[in-house]
Amino acid sequence: MKKTLLITALSAGAFAVATNAYAGSNVDPEKDRKQFVDFIMAKSPKVPFEEYRLGAYIYNADKKAQYEAVDEFPPYLDAIDLGEELWNKDRAVYEKCFGSDVSKIRPKYPYFDDKRGEVVTLELAINECRKNAGLKPFKWGKGDIARLSAYLAYNARGQKINVKIDSEGARKAYNAGRDLFTKPHGQLNLSCAKCHAYNAGRRARANILSPALGHTTHFPVWRAKWNYLGTLHKRYTGCMKNMRWDPKTVGGPQSVAFRNLEFFEAYLSNGLEIDGPDYRE
Amino acid sequence: MKNKMIHALAATAVATTLMAAPVASQAAGADAKVVAEGKKLAFSRSKGNCLACHMIKGGSLPGNIGPALIAMKLRYPDKQKLRDKIWGKPELEVKYSMMPPFGRHAILSEDQIDKIVEFIYTL
Repeated sequence: MKKTLLITALSAGAFAVATNAYAGSNVDPEKDRKQFVDFIMAKSPKVPFEEYRLGAYIYNADKKAQYEAVDEFPPYLDAIDLGEELWNKDRAVYEKCFGSDVSKIRPKYPYFDDKRGEVVTLELAINECRKNAGLKPFKWGKGDIARLSAYLAYNARGQKINVKIDSEGARKAYNAGRDLFTKPHGQLNLSCAKCHAYNAGRRARANILSPALGHTTHFPVWRAKWNYLGTLHKRYTGCMKNMRWDPKTVGGPQSVAFRNLEFFEAYLSNGLEIDGPDYRE
Repeated sequence: MKNKMIHALAATAVATTLMAAPVASQAAGADAKVVAEGKKLAFSRSKGNCLACHMIKGGSLPGNIGPALIAMKLRYPDKQKLRDKIWGKPELEVKYSMMPPFGRHAILSEDQIDKIVEFIYTL
């Protein structure tokens, strides 16, 4: 308990320091995206752009071969079927919210809703749709939310990520996500960027650090470490805990802060194919 | 360019240490027990976790984010500077570096940092 308190206090302290050291960004998203892609790709000039949907596997042939072997009978297949059952069970409700073509839903998210002034993610939209129809919303992170999301991702495989930023609000959301990504936080004084930009491709012990370019393409993900299918925001939570940064102080799954981060990462990945659900170590 | 220089420096450092090895082992005045405790702290995932980023003699599966911890006496003639670096004095912080400020953020106690410094200084 004492340790938790200390970490929380430090998180807050570090945040205050970081805020002073790094001014809030207000960059041009498209220019920023191009710079980011160039920066990441310059580390591994032989890796073609399309391959960045594969995450850290682009950096290690052995691990990639293991991944390809798992992919012959991937552990997430049942989850896709269960996702389809969920869709069919409340089909009328979902079709009213999303339309009847299940291949056209995943590519619309995340997007910036100008009227709302917020980023809307697929998982958020699913639960809002359920709530508005009087159905119980799914729990965030894993289980049915991940299954339904996986079914919709699977049906959109091969289509490219195409997040648009064409309003001041969207630009602000991108910059807010970028701030969260770049500023050091938590007891270990890490930032997302330290692992997934500056040191992408290097190893922390035996783990290869993935580049942020492509992070959002393949979620939800069946992680061997979890042994279940989990959402992107579930992964964000785990990442923050590794940084000893209390995810609750950031906002938690589907908070505005997490959605901004997803929006930022998805925009960086524009032009990459949707490849979810997928398997990861 | 900067990387190349670091590599060259590390290589020189290795060569020099090898030549100076007998002298170095004699000069190592630190208590063996303290060094052993420091090593345990340095390798522990929940404490120093130095292996997450640094290659260290005797540790398996090291990361490669930071430089290998070799020839530390040569690289840090001033032991206090090495301690300050691990402690996380802001003026020694390298921008964008992954190195956590172990003392400043109370990740380790002052005593634990002392022990780790003794261990690192034997490398």
